[in-house]
Amino acid sequence: MKETVIKSLLSLVLFSIIFLPACEEAALPMNIDETPLFVDTVSFPVIQTITYQVPPKLGANEYLYFGRKGDFKFLYNLLSFNIVDSTNLYSFKYYNDSLIVADSMKLIMNFTLDSIPDSPEFQLRYFPSQSDSVFNELETNIFNFDPNIASSIISNSSMSVDSVDSNTTKVKLSFLIDTTIINVFKDTSLINFNQTFLIELKNEFTSELKFFSSDNIANPPKLLVYYRQFLSDSVVLDSSFHTYYSTQDVSIMDKVMVSTEDTTNLSVGLAKGLRSLLMVDMGDWVLPPRAIISSAELTYNRVEADTLKAYSVLSYPIIIEGDYSSFNFFELDPYIIESNFQSSASINNNILKLNYRKISTEFGRGKIINYGFKIQSNPNNDPFQTVQFHSLSSPDLYPEMRVIYVYQ
Amino acid sequence: MFINKITKVALFVFSIVFSQSIFNAYGLGFTRTSFHSSSNGAGSIGLVPTFHPGVSMDNPATWPSLNFTYISGSYANQSHEIINTNIKNEASRFSKIQFAIPFRDRYAIGLTVKPLNNHNSYFNTDTTTINFKGKIINTSKEFRSGGGIMQASLGLALPLNSRMGLGISINHLFGSSRDDQSLIINNIYYRIFNIRTYSGSTFDFDFAGKLYNDSNLTILTFARIGLTNKPVSGKLYKFDFYEDSNNNYSFDSDDYPNEVMVDTISISNIYAPSSFSFGMSATFKKDLNIFSEFQMWNDQAINSNYTSIFNDQISSKIHIGSGIVRFGNSMAREWQDRITFRTGFYRDTYTLRISGNSIIENSLSVGFGFKFATTGNQIDFSYRNGNRSIIDGQKELFNEITIGVSLGDMWFLRRRAKQ
Repeated sequence: MKETVIKSLLSLVLFSIIFLPACEEAALPMNIDETPLFVDTVSFPVIQTITYQVPPKLGANEYLYFGRKGDFKFLYNLLSFNIVDSTNLYSFKYYNDSLIVADSMKLIMNFTLDSIPDSPEFQLRYFPSQSDSVFNELETNIFNFDPNIASSIISNSSMSVDSVDSNTTKVKLSFLIDTTIINVFKDTSLINFNQTFLIELKNEFTSELKFFSSDNIANPPKLLVYYRQFLSDSVVLDSSFHTYYSTQDVSIMDKVMVSTEDTTNLSVGLAKGLRSLLMVDMGDWVLPPRAIISSAELTYNRVEADTLKAYSVLSYPIIIEGDYSSFNFFELDPYIIESNFQSSASINNNILKLNYRKISTEFGRGKIINYGFKIQSNPNNDPFQTVQFHSLSSPDLYPEMRVIYVYQ
Repeated sequence: MFINKITKVALFVFSIVFSQSIFNAYGLGFTRTSFHSSSNGAGSIGLVPTFHPGVSMDNPATWPSLNFTYISGSYANQSHEIINTNIKNEASRFSKIQFAIPFRDRYAIGLTVKPLNNHNSYFNTDTTTINFKGKIINTSKEFRSGGGIMQASLGLALPLNSRMGLGISINHLFGSSRDDQSLIINNIYYRIFNIRTYSGSTFDFDFAGKLYNDSNLTILTFARIGLTNKPVSGKLYKFDFYEDSNNNYSFDSDDYPNEVMVDTISISNIYAPSSFSFGMSATFKKDLNIFSEFQMWNDQAINSNYTSIFNDQISSKIHIGSGIVRFGNSMAREWQDRITFRTGFYRDTYTLRISGNSIIENSLSVGFGFKFATTGNQIDFSYRNGNRSIIDGQKELFNEITIGVSLGDMWFLRRRAKQ
């Protein structure tokens, strides 16, 4: 009886809890003047701008180029291959086994089109006198690389059509490489041999020839090593091959001339090697303690009026004072950046808005000195597209930084 | 078993909810006037008997008059409504859980847990628009706070003489609260939040005495002195702003910046209540009681560093209240005669420390309790209606329904020897 009563009571309480209260939470209105949080805005003028030039940067590009593309002339391409094959098991040392005989080697590059424009001829060289490293795709350019360190020509080739199926054809450039080169590659006295080749056109070519680079996952350049394996003195397996993919490759361009428009505006472009600096005068501005910057937007207005799709610009604070006196060319970019404070954005309706709130926070807290910003093209952009923005000389479309911040 | 499990789960879920009031945003928030549903029904602060003849569950000095050991819980549903607006908030929570054991006729001991104050509030502002060189910036603000101080008490009742009893309570204050302040720019929330912890202790000395007694009238008098043993201190964790990009109220990897700095500050002497309360109850024939109570309460803390949304806090309170209780007879044959009726009213005047403004709270209460079973089980219901207002400020109406269940059993009580 007692238990029944207790259960009934608990049920009643439970019922009351569930059905009597209807939990509601509505905000109570408050006079904004009584509240503790604040938003503030401040504009900082850009007081100095300059464009400068560095050697072209094509190493992170998806393509390798031969010939000419407008004002751009490609001299040669450098390709370096992985030290182990695609199965991650076999290095060239594998072919020193007495039961393994490497017969030949092929270097194959895939053309981006499915037809051959003319019949250009190519030649191949390699670097037997160099040790483990010949070039760096992100840094090597015409000014810091001497092609004369390469060997004499080891192979010649021209492009050929390879029918994949009845509907698809692929155009390839394939070099046949003989065993003398394989012997150099597999020589155990050379630790981590460079496995690098230089490919160039035999003759001048007036148009552009575009191949896939190692940055194209589907069709990277590859090195095929054909070999036979002996199971005994009399039994030999059928010929087979190992595939070594390109790990680094870069097209080396001749020096490019820049136009007056390139130097008077704020210009960026990979093939021309154009980058720009600008100095924002933030004065003695101090960000209040515990505050947060909602946006610190610097707006760049593009000079050209044509439509530009998916062009991204990177910007970094620099850590030394910039030279804003005149246009300069540098073989090595002297403006070292704070890479942790990268800002990036795409041009939209010919306006680029870069948000510098992260580095502006550091400036506002006095942790980092403001030496200005560098802008440059994203490596994934079309390298031959040069984009110009209005500089300080523009009467109304000059860049300006606008900061919105919240504080307590 | 199933009911018990469901009850526990439901109570846990609902107990995390508060009903918010404007006035919770002053300092550490509002302290309830009473905690047990029987006291609520009479509008009492818990000094005078409202639970059982001679017994208030909020006054340890009266616990020896309990006939049984009780485990008791009170659960409150509150609603607050701002006058002249359509804004109404409603929520539920436990207001008290208690275990009281009378022993050796004149002694009692008890454990109590209750939420001492209510810090729950939620405010927003109108949207304002700024034109920043052609860029339109819409801003508004939101403020939320919740949590508060809990009190766990050990109470002991002992006799002074044949007509007077003393109650001593040692109260441990603990808990935490959080406030979240947001400034919204074009629908993106910039939040800053603070977490506060609390730790301290207080003492209460309760007195109960029989001043006069004859066959027609009994006059009881009650008093309480509340003192702070260790003022509440705590840690204030002040987190910097972050952009709540996904608006999920917590800092995560989607938000800006990558990490939020926190400043930890130890703060002492932020809450040090002291009080003096006095009450009288006159018992007439048929267990009809008329009572009156008076209380002066002060927060003597000297550190106001735990700033709230309103930059002010409650520093003192004066309570005046009166009511009528007619106790039911648990031995009555008719169920109607077992019902206890309660009604009362009170007026609280709170004073704010910085502005000096006063908050006035007026309330009217009614309630009833019903005894059942031989061990004095009791279920109490109360309804309280009132209003709070501040000079030149908002006025809110509040309603509260409280349900209390008290289950009795014979522990440590002398049992009559079988003949």
